[in-house]
Amino acid sequence: MQTEVAPPAVPGSNIEIKLDARKVNFFYGDFQALHEASLSVQARKITALIGPSGCGKTTFLRMFNRMYDLVPGTRATGEVLIDGHNVLSPDTDVINLRRQVGMLFQRANPFPKSIFDNVAYGPHMLGWSKQRINEVVEESLKDTGLWNEVKDRLGRSALNLSGGQQQRLCLARALAVKPEVVLMDEPASALDPIATLRIEELMQELKERYTIVIVTHNMQQAARASDFTAFMLMNQKRAGEVIEYGPTDDIFNRPKDSRTEDYITGRFG
Amino acid sequence: MATTRTLFDQELAELKSGVVRMGSMVEQAIADSMRALVDRDNALAKMVIARDQDVNELHRQLRERAFMIMATQQPVARDLRLIVSFQHMVLELERMGDHAVGIARAAVRLNDLPQLKPYVDLPKMAELTESQVHEILGAVIEADQDRARAIAERDDEVDVLYHKIWEELVRFMVDDPTNVQRAAILLFLAKDLERIADRVTNIAEDVVFLHTGRIVELS
Repeated sequence: MQTEVAPPAVPGSNIEIKLDARKVNFFYGDFQALHEASLSVQARKITALIGPSGCGKTTFLRMFNRMYDLVPGTRATGEVLIDGHNVLSPDTDVINLRRQVGMLFQRANPFPKSIFDNVAYGPHMLGWSKQRINEVVEESLKDTGLWNEVKDRLGRSALNLSGGQQQRLCLARALAVKPEVVLMDEPASALDPIATLRIEELMQELKERYTIVIVTHNMQQAARASDFTAFMLMNQKRAGEVIEYGPTDDIFNRPKDSRTEDYITGRFG
Repeated sequence: MATTRTLFDQELAELKSGVVRMGSMVEQAIADSMRALVDRDNALAKMVIARDQDVNELHRQLRERAFMIMATQQPVARDLRLIVSFQHMVLELERMGDHAVGIARAAVRLNDLPQLKPYVDLPKMAELTESQVHEILGAVIEADQDRARAIAERDDEVDVLYHKIWEELVRFMVDDPTNVQRAAILLFLAKDLERIADRVTNIAEDVVFLHTGRIVELS
């Protein structure tokens, strides 16, 4: 059974919902990976998706920028609204959607190009002027705290950077096209603790301008880095459901559903 | 649902068992300190004072264990509340032990002096306080927040007796200055009992916090 999920409304407050997934079902062929998943994501907040392996977190995350389109034989029903537009509808401009909703993956995946070209890639594809590209590369590298580390070697290969630097470069690449939302799929799982904390600090700085949704297996990371947390679990047919969603403080201190409590306290999963 | 944290659960159970053991030691110390007064038994009073070292040592061990669990198991939600509550409970119990020592020391001083008056309300107050300590340990064992709230409500009964004793002892002092020393010692002793009952209320608040995650004021 899925609880109704929406961020708690404070009477009189002006909460802006950036992403609104409503009763989303998702299928890989005959296999249903998501069942009636709903989630209202607040703008300029960090929302974490947690749950055991295979519960549909990454699938759910990829609904927001239709990354699933790249997998043949998939099908989605329900609604995923971004600023009121249903991204699941056939008339969605997927290229523009992915500019609006950027993504950071589990493993850093820089292009085998220079540091500059990695960040400039998106703006270049969008046909921006050289001057604007130069500006946005510097701005994005500064936003991700990389500028001072790489400004003297922008022409060198991105593959020579450390793992943490490569991940921040990928984030800079995502930010360069001025997205409104950044999806992060276990962005720190391959990083050491220091690089992980650096990413988490960046998230706190970036949330002033971006809406962030992060999938993480690291519950301490969800607890310390996110504003809201959604707990997902497979139902008996192995389809992922949102079990509980609320402010992170509540989920980690006073979860309402015993399954959430069992999971976050490490008693299963 | 199958648990994957057997060792952790075992550590929590041992911590809880330590808290209850410490509670029992303190409960005994309070009872013995009062008996030392009523029976004018200096040997018993000195035993209470000496045994406080055991309470303090157990307190140290439990704090250390709680700290280690927090450092190594990264508890959250109810597990975290459990450990935080236990840490606070043992602090309260340690202070209760100190109050029992206070009563025992008062008994030693009073036992060398002629008895000011027959002790009537003090043993009553002690009985109420001891019963509250016993009851709150039961609420901790059962993790019963309703019981904890009910126990906290009974703190008023102790307060009423304390004020009655206070007025009576002040009257003794006013009536005859030679009573001042004994009455003053008895006042401090009554205060120790009153503080023990207050600390029972604090533990009741911990039991409620353990259940609800809300920090409440029951006094």
